[in-house]
Amino acid sequence: MSNAEMPDGDLLVILRHGPHGTSWLREGLDAALVGAAFGRRVALLFMGEGVLALLDGQGAGALGQKGTSPTLEMLEMYDIETLYVEGPAMARYGIAQQDLLLAPVALEDTVIAELVERHALILTF
Amino acid sequence: MATTEIYRYLTVDETTEVGLDPEGYLVDLTQWTPDVARALAGEEGISLDEAHWEVIEVLRDFYARYEMAPAMRPLVKAVGRSLGPDKGRSIHLMRLFPGSPAKVAARLAGLPKPSHCL
Amino acid sequence: MKLHIVNRAPDAGRAVEQALSAMAAEDRLLLIEDGVQGALPSLVDEFASIEGRLYALHEDLEARGLMNRHDERVEVVDVEGFVTLTEQAERTLSWY
Repeated sequence: MSNAEMPDGDLLVILRHGPHGTSWLREGLDAALVGAAFGRRVALLFMGEGVLALLDGQGAGALGQKGTSPTLEMLEMYDIETLYVEGPAMARYGIAQQDLLLAPVALEDTVIAELVERHALILTF
Repeated sequence: MATTEIYRYLTVDETTEVGLDPEGYLVDLTQWTPDVARALAGEEGISLDEAHWEVIEVLRDFYARYEMAPAMRPLVKAVGRSLGPDKGRSIHLMRLFPGSPAKVAARLAGLPKPSHCL
Repeated sequence: MKLHIVNRAPDAGRAVEQALSAMAAEDRLLLIEDGVQGALPSLVDEFASIEGRLYALHEDLEARGLMNRHDERVEVVDVEGFVTLTEQAERTLSWY
């Protein structure tokens, strides 16, 4: 993907934690949903461990905690459809595009700085 | 998230009461019935007709699928998809559920309070 | 210019790698809390790509007994310097 194709957005939420272990992923998704509910153009970047949030076949937690999949499927209802994933992290976890619930654009490390630069507000979770 | 504490009771009919949280949402979402919706609507001064019921159904489907009550924008989108573009407009929902449609409609549909709107 | 703040040790997760990959050419990186471990000469090479734009918080170095062990390529700032860095930046990103 060339830089020219990358849209400028209002808010970039960087999700760097996997599901269930901490509440960071859920909090990050909540922040994205709030931004979108208020009409901001929101993009998500799944980075590092965050790529596991995209994995198909996730469920609820052992104690019945909510799973991530329903929220991921809901993103399009909030018009959050600009999704990126850190390519090298996918390789590190041995995950391919067809393993993912959504269809994010895989980015090389060298493009991530450019993506961050193009957003007026960045939140890391 | 539904609150677990009952703040007051809503009388549905002579034999039924359901617990509500301080903002008037059902505490136990499984207690929802169309009669509960009518009783909640009565509190808002709304008399439910076909146009209300189809939106309530869209909301209940939304919650069953996504496990969250929608804010206004996704509600408008979901209604538009299910009921057609004429109804997928904020003005239509404002007329049906005056004030704050996402909140009022979620309350009547037996959903938790939408968490992503003010 | 953006200010990136890392509070995790180089050995604890990927905060350092992630911050570095998100940095534009003018951006600065400030190490705080356990992040200051990265200022040690044996670890600082990880930050070679941002030489001259790497800072570490004096108070956190001192608390860890690292004040005179840090690499000279790291610019040490006190809390006041931290505030100044924040003021000079358009945006601040935390990596934890």
